[in-house]
Amino acid sequence: MRKVWAVIRREFIERVRSKWFLVSTILGPVFMIGVTVLPSLLATRSGRVNHIVLLDEGARGFAGRLSTQLEGSGRYTVNLVQANSDRHDTLRDSLTDAIRSEAIDGFLTVSSATVESGVAEYRGRNVSSLRDMGVMESLLRQSIVTERLMSRGVDPGAVQEAQRGIDLRTLRVTKHGATGESGMVTFFLGYAVGIVLYMIILIYGINVMRSVLEEKQTRIVEVLVSSMRPFQLMLGKVIGVGGVGLFQFGIWALTGYLMVHFRTQILGAFHVSADQVSAVTLPVIGGGLLAVVAIYFLLGYLLYAALFAVVGASVTADSEAQQAQQPVMMLLVFSLIVSFAALTDPGGRMAVVTSMIPFSSPIIMPVRVATSDVPASQLALSLVISAASSLLVVWLSARVYRIGILMYGKRPNLKELWRWARQS
Amino acid sequence: MTDTNVVAINGIAKRFAGHVAVEGLSLQVPKGVVYGLLGPNGAGKTTTIRMIMNITIPDEGTIELFGDRLGGRHHSARIGYLPEERGLYRKMRVRDMLVFLAEAKGVERARGAAKADEWLRRLDLAEWGPRKVEELSKGMQQKVQFIGTMLHEPELLILDEPFAGLDPINQQVLKDIIVHLSRSGATIIFSTHQMDVAEKICDHVCIIAQGRKVLDGGLSEVKRVHGGTHVAVAFEDTVASGEAMRAVVDLVAAADDSGVFAELKLKEGVDPQVVLERLMRTGARIRRFERIEPSLNRIFLDKAGPRAVSAAPTEVAHA
Repeated sequence: MRKVWAVIRREFIERVRSKWFLVSTILGPVFMIGVTVLPSLLATRSGRVNHIVLLDEGARGFAGRLSTQLEGSGRYTVNLVQANSDRHDTLRDSLTDAIRSEAIDGFLTVSSATVESGVAEYRGRNVSSLRDMGVMESLLRQSIVTERLMSRGVDPGAVQEAQRGIDLRTLRVTKHGATGESGMVTFFLGYAVGIVLYMIILIYGINVMRSVLEEKQTRIVEVLVSSMRPFQLMLGKVIGVGGVGLFQFGIWALTGYLMVHFRTQILGAFHVSADQVSAVTLPVIGGGLLAVVAIYFLLGYLLYAALFAVVGASVTADSEAQQAQQPVMMLLVFSLIVSFAALTDPGGRMAVVTSMIPFSSPIIMPVRVATSDVPASQLALSLVISAASSLLVVWLSARVYRIGILMYGKRPNLKELWRWARQS
Repeated sequence: MTDTNVVAINGIAKRFAGHVAVEGLSLQVPKGVVYGLLGPNGAGKTTTIRMIMNITIPDEGTIELFGDRLGGRHHSARIGYLPEERGLYRKMRVRDMLVFLAEAKGVERARGAAKADEWLRRLDLAEWGPRKVEELSKGMQQKVQFIGTMLHEPELLILDEPFAGLDPINQQVLKDIIVHLSRSGATIIFSTHQMDVAEKICDHVCIIAQGRKVLDGGLSEVKRVHGGTHVAVAFEDTVASGEAMRAVVDLVAAADDSGVFAELKLKEGVDPQVVLERLMRTGARIRRFERIEPSLNRIFLDKAGPRAVSAAPTEVAHA
């Protein structure tokens, strides 16, 4: 065991010492926050004030009231333009030119038929901004509904009253009662769990592959396997590299915990008041979830590291490795994609089935646990299947590895790999 | 006798996908010798060494190491191995690398570190210990790798083409190390196709070609039995030497005539004494007449050269 320990130690120390480790430890969370938070931030960021023209093609008083409504939202400055019926087209052309020259952001056309048919037209540069268009549509709808009701003699005050905003608050309920978490927060927690597991398994799996390939290319492997059994070498390598993964994960978890714990003080330094800080609901990451994530990381990492070790052992050149790793990567990518489906329906059939399948369960099951109440029986079954299959894959991989590391030249096909696995 | 053999190979064979790498090879390496495994490229030297090291398993035959059949990996703490193709972890620091190699052989860390420092000092590499392997020149990397094979003070050293790719200075360094280790009692097996090196440092040689043994034995017996009779002659002047050479032409199988100096291979059964008498009778003044050993290179070419490969294996009794 001293030899295995020497291999573990080498793999661990050499990696933790490298610049790569430092950089990835710092940039990992930055990247993670980037992929989880940034898209939603960008999509929901409060837009600037748009300068638009409201073109009134005979809508009479409605255009004026709509203009007031739009300006009242604080998102638009509106120029109301009356169009004479004979110059609609030339007016539209010149307004389109104004958009091109960036004098205005767009123009909204309402006609005499708008209130009746509900049809209006907007041309502008920002039409692809779902947020902007959503706001405009809802303002337009409010105005039209008000207009229709008033035309049937409903009191404008009552209409105003009826249109007051509604706010659906979503709260997650588990067996232990309401958690105080909103649906959004739960979604992001699940998303983050999936992404983190995917990345960490992928990165460290590929690390194992590179390490195997390096030893093969430099022929150090000959010296090593003449001193220890190939299984000892592979075991030490997988454990050593996995240890780095756990270590890095630990650093992230601890920093995350400290930042959440001292968030009032940290944000206070940026002049954010304590009230504002406590207004934000944070996901509750229980010990149970952390344990599930850690266990599935270990099982998933073991399985994929063993597969990546086989890839490393079965090729001779880096370029071949790029190709040979594709099937293994695809299993991982598939799991990540399915995890998005599991996010929206964590108790659905798709999520339940894929959380039982060995190759996807390490990512899907933790995502399900993060977003819903998984029945204990399902969790237990998934764990048993996952553990058994990981051990089986490790055992088979070790058999292929032991032959592969000493083979050079033509890349073996699946049939040959299978023959290596059966060879005594 | 067997209990003094460090390595005893009996009739091993190894075939790869329809091609025979080694066939019916047997050899014994006595304790304490420097044993040269000689042969042209592709003769099966590396395959044989890999089988001794337990890296590949022979299809037939047995290999005994230190008197048992437990295999190279079992005895790995007693064996140092330098593979034909060299390599180190490029990103690792030299000293860490050496300590790791020692640990892989079961040496304790502290002891491995002390040994590494000792050898780095001895080979003038002490200042390179904390540097990364990739910063070293190729020659220095080779030296580091030699150190790696010796750190655990092995009783048996197996070096596959250790001299290949070394400049003359490092060849000399390596030769000194081998002699040093041999004097301190280690058994050394190395493969090479450089006969001049083998001739200088080997006690025993085994020539293999196309996976089969051509001959083996102690270096001097091999030369005596397989070399034929060679004499070196030196004359006082060139004119007389020409006449003298013509007088013995029927006794000589091959001659390397350089005028005042000639190296002659005599026909089988010819007594060198007769040659000397004939030369003297011509009246030429002779400065030197000496019976010499043929070079290993000559024997190698005769036995393993293109014409010789079909020759039946012959053996010389060990001294």
